[in-house]
Amino acid sequence: METYFLKNEDISKFYERINQEYDLYLPVKVKNPLKAASDSKANLPTDDYSLKKYAQESKEDFVFNDYRCIEPIKTFLTQYKEEVCNYFEESDKKGKEGRPAALCGIKNCDLFSLKVQDYVFLEGTESDPVYKARREGALIISGDCPHFKETCFCRAFDINPYPSDGFDFNFSPLNNGYLVDAASDKAKVIISSLRNVLASATLGQISGRAGKRELMLRRLDEHLIQYKIPKKERLQDIILSGYDSPIWQEQMRTCVECGGCVFMCATCHCFLLTDEAANNNAKRLRLWDGCMFNNFTRVASGANPLKLRYMRLRNRYLKKFDFFITNLGEQACCGCGRCIDVCPGKIDIRYILRRLDESRTFSENKDVGNNIKGAG
Amino acid sequence: MKKNIYRPIKAVIEEVIEETPTIKTFKLKPEAPFGFAAGQFIEMTVPTVGEAPFTPSSDPGIKEKLELTVMKAGEVTAKLHTMNKGDIVGIRGPYGAGYPLDKFKGRDILIVGGGVGLAPLRSLLYNLFSGIDKYNKVVLRYGARGPKDIVYKYQIPEWSTKDKIDVMVSVDVGDETWAGNVGLVTTILDAAPVDFTKAIGIVCGPPIMMKFVTLKLLDLGFNPADIYLSMEKGMSCGLGKCGHCRIGKYYVCKDGPVFTYEQLKSERDIWS
Repeated sequence: METYFLKNEDISKFYERINQEYDLYLPVKVKNPLKAASDSKANLPTDDYSLKKYAQESKEDFVFNDYRCIEPIKTFLTQYKEEVCNYFEESDKKGKEGRPAALCGIKNCDLFSLKVQDYVFLEGTESDPVYKARREGALIISGDCPHFKETCFCRAFDINPYPSDGFDFNFSPLNNGYLVDAASDKAKVIISSLRNVLASATLGQISGRAGKRELMLRRLDEHLIQYKIPKKERLQDIILSGYDSPIWQEQMRTCVECGGCVFMCATCHCFLLTDEAANNNAKRLRLWDGCMFNNFTRVASGANPLKLRYMRLRNRYLKKFDFFITNLGEQACCGCGRCIDVCPGKIDIRYILRRLDESRTFSENKDVGNNIKGAG
Repeated sequence: MKKNIYRPIKAVIEEVIEETPTIKTFKLKPEAPFGFAAGQFIEMTVPTVGEAPFTPSSDPGIKEKLELTVMKAGEVTAKLHTMNKGDIVGIRGPYGAGYPLDKFKGRDILIVGGGVGLAPLRSLLYNLFSGIDKYNKVVLRYGARGPKDIVYKYQIPEWSTKDKIDVMVSVDVGDETWAGNVGLVTTILDAAPVDFTKAIGIVCGPPIMMKFVTLKLLDLGFNPADIYLSMEKGMSCGLGKCGHCRIGKYYVCKDGPVFTYEQLKSERDIWS
């Protein structure tokens, strides 16, 4: 990996260069009046960020985001509703996809989520051609997190608030500019055309970044202490042993089945194929679907294995922390906290995991107690 | 251009057989040869209405034709049931794991079917019949709600006359035409002429039937690794991506639809 320093005043040159080849998306600040109250009490930033398409005329709106954007990276790889094929026509419509996307402001939580999305759409029996084209074409420009939101909990699962791989470029803010890591061949080609604005990073600058990163880790870890989120190694065990826990019913009392948690989730990937008539033809659409919806597992006969809401909540956690840990070796949760931000019922994954962990610990201790009694 | 994984190929309906008041068999001619292994499933498209998963009921040795035996249950199947000879449907697949015939060699095979669940079993039976020398014997026990709900009425008598094949049909509720056994299919398993502790058990039917037949087979001494279940879920993509057919650590579309009970026994709520 090569690391450079880019001055603040030269950043538009970088953007312009990217914009020649890609549809560039950059973060803008958006006010979120709903979240402001609780976050400001914790003395944490209250703004949100959203990715907008780059345009020369509005470039003063673009910022370096302090933490992840509202929209997860998956929204650039699959769409809420899109045509995946028509039938029975012989060929696909050509040239539907425009230029590949360059995504700026991506944080490490979103990079982690790509492990899950890639596993689903690129691996298995066959890879999804639409996803594959977008994924391979995309230029990912990630960034360190100099701050965090109240709902950020990546560190609970050993995900750092700064990326170390999985990007083309990574930006780390430092003094009056950025340290820029160029990791991929694509990135190195772009760098070669920007030599006039990039200087090789100095040891002092790299040490400066290391110091900032360490400080950020400490601040986030301190923030997370209050939530007592179980360690990554315990997740699968507590989900399986918590199958009959009362927490599922208890937490679902406020669910309004809006589906916000699954749609905003960076790792959730479920979809439904559905058909529509189109002229003399038919087209097949892929719609995002979610396991929190009543009909998710309903079959034609009317039978529905997940007919009650608490079963669906439990199912979602089993998928994230049992299925994916078994099949991928990683949990399908990156700690981005979007599901907490979006939920009108205030259902909080941090709290659910903590409760499951505590009841597991309680039963483990009880077992130990029984064994000692038995031995005596 | 690489083939689109979501696009079906065309198939023409060549014949429709009315099996029961709610079940029809559709004989299809695919536009290109379409192979599958017994137990694998396909996604069938009713144009503009949508797709649904079905396991073919025809002889897997024949690639030019495909038969699907379908019960009218939801939107796709309701529309399909109005379709006739000459109409076009779409097919995509085959998907998943079928029956591992190699593991059945030299064994007694007890096949237990319920209702329209005999459909995938018929394609397995075609396979077994054509290589019958490889197996010790094949015993079929089939249960239907009533005499008029029995599928393949025109074939079952012929199967019973074959060598090394033993067939018995039971109905939950009889009528004046029925001289055979009356009772759930679980009631005719005790007397099945197989060596329970060494036999292969194959079960396909509605979930409630699969549950009680499995429990019965375990009771009779079957090894959990020798009980093969054909699991049913609302598979949408068939490719291990859409997330609809998860059972524990498995996707039915990719890891199944045929599972051994050994694979599933530690998963929760598999029958619901």
